[in-house]
Amino acid sequence: MSQGNAKNHNGPSGGLGAGPGAAANGERGYLAGGLTGLGLLAFAFLPLLLNAFAQNSAPYWLDVINTVGLYTILALSLNVILGFAGMFHMGHAAFFAIGAYSTAILNLDYGWSIMATMPVAAVAAGVVALVLAWPIIHLRGDYLLIVTIGIVEIVRIALTNNVFGLTGGSNGLVGIARPSVFGFRIVQPQHFFYFIWAVVALTLLLFHWLENSRFGRALKFIKEDTIAAENMGVNTSRYKLMAFVVGAAWAGLAGTIFACRMRTISPESFVFSESVLLFTIVILGGKGNQKGVLLGSFLVMGLPEFFRGFEDKRLLVFGAALVVMMIFRPQGLLPSKPSRYKLPEGWDDRLPGPGSPGPPTPGQKP
Amino acid sequence: MYDLNFFLQQLSNGLTRGSIYALIALGYTMVYGVMKLINFAHGELFTLGAFFGYTLLVSLGLAGSLGPPMAIGISMIMVLGLVALAGHLLERVAYRPLRHSDRLAAVVSALGASIFLQNAIMLKWGAQYRAYGADLLPNVVFRIGDFNLPLVRLLVFAAAIVVMAFLHAFIHRTRLGLAIRASAIDQGAAKLMGIDVRKVIALVFVIGPALGGLAGLLVGLYYGQINYNMGQIYGLKAFTAAIIGGIGNITGAMVGGLLLGLLEALGEGYVSVAWKDALTFVVLIMILVFRPTGLLPERVAEKL
Amino acid sequence: MRKFLCLCLCLTACLFLLSPIGPAQAADQIKFGLMGPITGDWASEGQGMQRVVELLAEEINAAGGINGAQVVIEVADDGGAPRTAAMAARKLLTSSVVAVVGTYGSSVTEATQDIYDEGGVIQIATGSTKISLTGKGLTKFFRTCPRDDEQGRVLANNVKGLGFTKVALVHDNTSYSKGLADETREILKNIGVSEVYYDSIVPNDRDYTVSLTKIKAANPDVIVFTGYYPEAGLLLRQKRELGFDVPIIGGDATNNSSIVEIAGKEAADGYLFVSPPALPDMKSESAAKLMATYRQKYDSLPSSVWAVLAGDAFLVLVEAAKAVGPDPAKMSDWLKTGLKGFEGLSGSIAFDENGDRVGEVYRLYKISPEGEFVLQ
Repeated sequence: MSQGNAKNHNGPSGGLGAGPGAAANGERGYLAGGLTGLGLLAFAFLPLLLNAFAQNSAPYWLDVINTVGLYTILALSLNVILGFAGMFHMGHAAFFAIGAYSTAILNLDYGWSIMATMPVAAVAAGVVALVLAWPIIHLRGDYLLIVTIGIVEIVRIALTNNVFGLTGGSNGLVGIARPSVFGFRIVQPQHFFYFIWAVVALTLLLFHWLENSRFGRALKFIKEDTIAAENMGVNTSRYKLMAFVVGAAWAGLAGTIFACRMRTISPESFVFSESVLLFTIVILGGKGNQKGVLLGSFLVMGLPEFFRGFEDKRLLVFGAALVVMMIFRPQGLLPSKPSRYKLPEGWDDRLPGPGSPGPPTPGQKP
Repeated sequence: MYDLNFFLQQLSNGLTRGSIYALIALGYTMVYGVMKLINFAHGELFTLGAFFGYTLLVSLGLAGSLGPPMAIGISMIMVLGLVALAGHLLERVAYRPLRHSDRLAAVVSALGASIFLQNAIMLKWGAQYRAYGADLLPNVVFRIGDFNLPLVRLLVFAAAIVVMAFLHAFIHRTRLGLAIRASAIDQGAAKLMGIDVRKVIALVFVIGPALGGLAGLLVGLYYGQINYNMGQIYGLKAFTAAIIGGIGNITGAMVGGLLLGLLEALGEGYVSVAWKDALTFVVLIMILVFRPTGLLPERVAEKL
Repeated sequence: MRKFLCLCLCLTACLFLLSPIGPAQAADQIKFGLMGPITGDWASEGQGMQRVVELLAEEINAAGGINGAQVVIEVADDGGAPRTAAMAARKLLTSSVVAVVGTYGSSVTEATQDIYDEGGVIQIATGSTKISLTGKGLTKFFRTCPRDDEQGRVLANNVKGLGFTKVALVHDNTSYSKGLADETREILKNIGVSEVYYDSIVPNDRDYTVSLTKIKAANPDVIVFTGYYPEAGLLLRQKRELGFDVPIIGGDATNNSSIVEIAGKEAADGYLFVSPPALPDMKSESAAKLMATYRQKYDSLPSSVWAVLAGDAFLVLVEAAKAVGPDPAKMSDWLKTGLKGFEGLSGSIAFDENGDRVGEVYRLYKISPEGEFVLQ
């Protein structure tokens, strides 16, 4: 892993200081910014565009995009655990389920409004994660993986067996209300589009901030080298546990959205293969990189829809596509880059490592 | 109701399914030992074994033309070979290009391969359940008082034990086995000692799938019924067994498999049928909490 | 960032390119949807549904279609899971179908009911027997399969009628199976048959010797199993292996020819089950014809009765479209009021005001020593 750090100082890092390249870089920056803005704007009006150009299929494509959005939220929350902290977690559907069932039970049995259940769903998932993860957080890689698979199975079995008489057994829970935000009822796919993608945006911002906070830096340190982190005085177990709880709580929140969008939930929606799907999204997109995760969920959730034409061969094609994509981009489609920090003028000279560029005086060093 | 007879019956129920878990778990553990890769497609190789057996015994009618004992012997050998070949191809296509990449990339590639294989089996042999037919094995039941012991069950158990004994001897008594063990402990050092690690990996990807395929054939023979996605559940259980035993350790996989079978049977018999899988995982978690690398951990060099 | 943006734009562009633009429905064709589990755990059911409906559609088109309009079948894979089914339902709505046949599982159907209702499309479920699916006030929802309570009643009455007194009830904890077990349990209690064992088994476990050992210890004189045929076959086989001699009576999900192959003829001998009549026992002319064409094309028979009930759903839709034109609202009214004594594949079909099928459909079957299903 130390190689990755060396690259950090090696790469053509245009941002390091002033130089001839900087101006061009700035222009490119504006261009990229403009394009991003344009893209976002187009995306924001997607329901209208779809309605205008593809009237018949608009609800379907919006639904596909909404599903992508929902799984983006879930995958981003898994990314905190798997991408930021590097813990092999293949049981995320468990916390998703706890959130969804919390919402459904509170709404159906106690008449809570959906939006009021959202924080409770998140807290419930977080608390369960805390209790379950406490004894296992120290487990290494693949052992953690099987334990998290075990957790998702235990949760599914508990739901199927109608635990505490609350979950409705294999029938699940039916007739969950639609949410309303500031008095506006969210019913149609286009309503859910704005609702879900607003949460996606919030998630992106929140976890971006988290990634660059003290907490996020500690997680990154732990991921790169747990022992070194521990020696530097980082309480690794505590940080790992925190990451686990944050990720799980956010998955619980996504559970609320799932419950009110589907309106009926049953254990079949939270099986092990859902966890696998989420895991795949994060690794395929590029673990640790939020943009990668976004792209990953477009591919993993969207591709099977595009492959509908293959009928009974569509999962075959999908499986093959996964293998091929991993072979060509083993690091993920958009891998996370090591963090860069601006160093004070002149500091680069003293840094170790081959070919460290030093202050950008062009022509002096390769 | 829950007398000694009941206990003995459950014990034999548990050992039978445990021996099948153990056979599959061996494939996981051998591959993991050398490559540090969880071969998620292993369950599908197991299914493939069951379906090759089906084609040979039922579709091609070997059982009818050669008589059951001969036909079963031949199809065992052919299934071992065919699934070994499939495992080898899988390694070439899906894992070899990723040998030097991030481990998780190989995991996702394995998941993709698993989806692919499962659906390929569905398209080739159909989505419906396939039956081996009940007349392949003799229906002889030994009765000791109230305790029933079918011959078939003894055969399955014996087959699994014999194969595992052979494997154990191979790993611990031969030079190739030594090479596998050396590569599992430290690939770099093994290379320095003149071991061709690539060959070792290829070998592991032949033996592991072959054993999984054999387990598939045994499931077909014993339970009589196979379907295209049965590898999911068996794969997950066998993987659990491998972890319980300490993944990477061959004896551990055998012990873990048998233990898991017993655990399930006793949990189902004495606690609750509906909760027994949850119970199994709770026990797994307890084991890992107190022994974080399983019951018989392999000495795996911590990668930093 | 730019690369990423390009990718996003490309994806969005793909969305547009792939979506069909322009008038989707030509005047001389009528589109019906078929939603079924083409992949996933229940793929054999979904593929059977598709084959039956497509064969019938070919036949109708060859005979001139519906008042001159050709029938087009749009197939959507629901994967046997609620989330994927919701997508499949949306997908079908985009291609302007008039009505949808499907689907198999009750919870899967439940996840799509609202979507079809909002889309103003008729849905006829074919294997979803859960009681509460109807009676929700959905005016365009029907089913060609009977409900769990009807089957529970028939099952319980047969248990009593055959003179059994101590029953072991076994279900597999799926929505269908547990629902049926609970219905049967309730009725058995009311008609005074005692229950000595009630528990589930786990589908796909393959090894049920542990449960059978437990049941043996409870000493019932009959086992009532409400699950599916793969498990029923294994129960029969392993019961014999354990030297446990007690009859089993099952529900309609065990009506599948491979039960004999799985269990073996000796073990399957004497197995009882209640079910709508199997395809070879259906007396109608159309059933005989379907059986012939199906065998010709696929060299087998539909593996379960549910695929045939999908065929029935399709036939009544065609009938309705012939009578009142391809308008979902008119068609659903007609199905409730105008459809009288229509001979479908599985016999006479009519619906009540909830959209449930009316009339006796269940029969008692017994497996003969030769492995044949014999109507009792």
